[in-house]
Amino acid sequence: MDASLVEKITEMVLKELHSKDKEKPDQQVPTKTAGMVKLHGNLNTVPDFSKYARNREEKETPEEEPAFETFVDDPKEKEQLLDACKKTPARIGIGRAGVRPKTKTLLKFRLDHAAAVDAVYGEVTEQLLEKMNWFSVQTMVQNQEEYIRRPDLGRKLSEEAKKKISETCVKAPQVQVIISDGLSSEAIEKNVEDVYLSLQQSLNSLGLKEGTPFFIKNGRVAVMDEIGEILEPEVAVLLIGERPGLVSAESLSAYLCYKPRKGTIEADRMVISNIHEGGIPPVEAGAYLGSVIQKILKYEASGVSLVKKER
Amino acid sequence: MISAGIDIGTSTTKMVISRFTLTNTAGSSHVPRIEIIDKDVIYKSPIFKTPLIGEKHLINIDAVYKLVQQEYQKAGIVPEEVKTGAVIITGESATKENAGDIIHFLSDKAGDFLVATAGPDLEGVIAAKGSGAYDYSIETGKVIANIDIGGGTANIAIYKRGNLLGTCTLHIGGRLIEFQNERISYVAPSVKQVAKKLGLSLEVGGPKNDERLGPILDFMADSLCDVLLGKKRVEENPLLLGHAPQWGETVEAIMFSGGVSECLYRLEHQESRAIYDDIGTRLAKRLRASERLRQWQWIEPAETVRATVLGAGTQTTEISGATIHVHPSKLPIKNLPVYHVRMEGMKDGESKINNAIDHAINLYDPQQEGNNFALYLTGLNVLRFSEVQALARWLLNGLERQHQNNHPMVIVVANDIAKALGQSLGALKSRREIICIDQIRVENGDYLDIGHMLQSEVVPVVVKTLAFHS
Repeated sequence: MDASLVEKITEMVLKELHSKDKEKPDQQVPTKTAGMVKLHGNLNTVPDFSKYARNREEKETPEEEPAFETFVDDPKEKEQLLDACKKTPARIGIGRAGVRPKTKTLLKFRLDHAAAVDAVYGEVTEQLLEKMNWFSVQTMVQNQEEYIRRPDLGRKLSEEAKKKISETCVKAPQVQVIISDGLSSEAIEKNVEDVYLSLQQSLNSLGLKEGTPFFIKNGRVAVMDEIGEILEPEVAVLLIGERPGLVSAESLSAYLCYKPRKGTIEADRMVISNIHEGGIPPVEAGAYLGSVIQKILKYEASGVSLVKKER
Repeated sequence: MISAGIDIGTSTTKMVISRFTLTNTAGSSHVPRIEIIDKDVIYKSPIFKTPLIGEKHLINIDAVYKLVQQEYQKAGIVPEEVKTGAVIITGESATKENAGDIIHFLSDKAGDFLVATAGPDLEGVIAAKGSGAYDYSIETGKVIANIDIGGGTANIAIYKRGNLLGTCTLHIGGRLIEFQNERISYVAPSVKQVAKKLGLSLEVGGPKNDERLGPILDFMADSLCDVLLGKKRVEENPLLLGHAPQWGETVEAIMFSGGVSECLYRLEHQESRAIYDDIGTRLAKRLRASERLRQWQWIEPAETVRATVLGAGTQTTEISGATIHVHPSKLPIKNLPVYHVRMEGMKDGESKINNAIDHAINLYDPQQEGNNFALYLTGLNVLRFSEVQALARWLLNGLERQHQNNHPMVIVVANDIAKALGQSLGALKSRREIICIDQIRVENGDYLDIGHMLQSEVVPVVVKTLAFHS
């Protein structure tokens, strides 16, 4: 069965379950549960404010809070429970049927799990790479199975890749941006364009020079060390898909390192993680990265060394 | 960060100095989130009588300033250290003719801090935070009313689980009737009205233990009950100041703060009570004896007479988001009115922003004198980069219409996009400086004070809800 069909069927099932609930008078109307997973594992997906913001020009009424729901039957302190639900995307306040989860929450759980698996096995589309004008190279990994089994190969570039990079890219740039699918192609598809464009603008306004950005398929974080050897950038920024979880399968991380070379220790790398719609908004993350890079250049250090020097 | 709070009330003036500890509460791999994690009160002043000049029309600015200087010295700080905080002029003091002057004077001289002038609604809110009612509502989830009774007014604020449900103000206070040499020396206009309504005549010069005072005090206690119950008849009550109660929920517990509450709970030494020869003590006794007030659970406050000043010193400052875009030389900014633009994502964004800017100019700068304002954008959702660019263009074009636009552009966004938006505005080569901050909640008609940028690259912000109540 292909992915979209699975989504469709699950959506129908969830809808059906919801429509049954609506007949019960005491339950709050569910918000966006039927909307496709990907974002929050909880049954409460990120609120769609556009639905609530009506055109109320001069009125002083406060913004309506989106309705959150709980599946606990007849909760004792409903409002407090809903308050707790609002604070976390974790699966709390989901109730139970005897000793088991309810059908709806179980289905949702499996759907989120499936989305995470999909993100790992998915691929970044050609369209995106073309649109961003990034060329693509491969690590020493041959296929997805190998990528998962052999992390070491994901840290090394193929001979072909090395050649292409050194032929195509500007040498010794101030800032080298690299993009890699990592463990979530979804993260790249959804977020990387906004992060990159915003980062680019930020670098421009700070007067920092960027090298030639490109895409690495099946990369691991430490692949930046090899690129450091070839291109000798002052700072490398690797935008890479995070290991998907049940809360989000499209979370992106930005790893930064001052003069990455072979033998760079992990403590000298730093990361801005949780970049996605429900975490740090991609556009803001890009803008923030610019100032982090500026700081790295100023102190000529990253990671733990930067923290030490900053003191 | 040092914060000062100064409360100039109808009868008393007091101040507190506290130290805020700011820290990054986000994990090391996250974008920083700077929050105030600790508020340590390092100095509490004694309670002073508010220095007035002549027939109570003016506050003695010099005397107040001297007091402030002297207390700073005792606390061991210099004005330069004070980075935030609030001076609030409360109760009837706010209606004194030079209330505005004193605010400006102190904000210039007493340190680099931000200034909030409170209307009665805000006063109630600040007192509820200082007294501990706010914390109590969070801890227990109950609906609690904080009743701050000072010299001139009782400011009531209702909280439930940390959310403000409503406020209400009554002319109930210690100084509404004053005595001198065992005789009544002053009766406030609102009390005269009550007396008239009850068919009593209350004269200046009458004896201190006038039995007619009894029914008046009973009426005050009853009015308070009516308000707490949300009774409709409150609307005609001569003691009501401003709007009628508007909270929809049943109050479960009550807490008293303010000068009169001191007499209610007797937490502090008796001596402070004797200074004032007024109705305060008897009012407190009546409230304590009131059967009707016993229907609610009484909760002891953490602070009584200092609740408001503590609230002002510790609870008025907010911290902006950590990723913001500000032009440091243009800070601090004081008393900037806010215009709220309700966006629906990007839908009709350009016309919405244009309309809002036109409205804001008409509202805040009708004479084209170049008065600045802040735009507060909500409902933007998560924006794409191209959308942020478009938004920046609309804002820039729209704000061109501001007259004499040599002020910085001030944009406040609810969503976490201030840095990206600020940079986008900057990339458009705006002639004007840009102040773009986020994660601050304001309302239409609020005023903003934005302080100097702190080391952690955040700015302290004080949101003020309306200035003087007339």
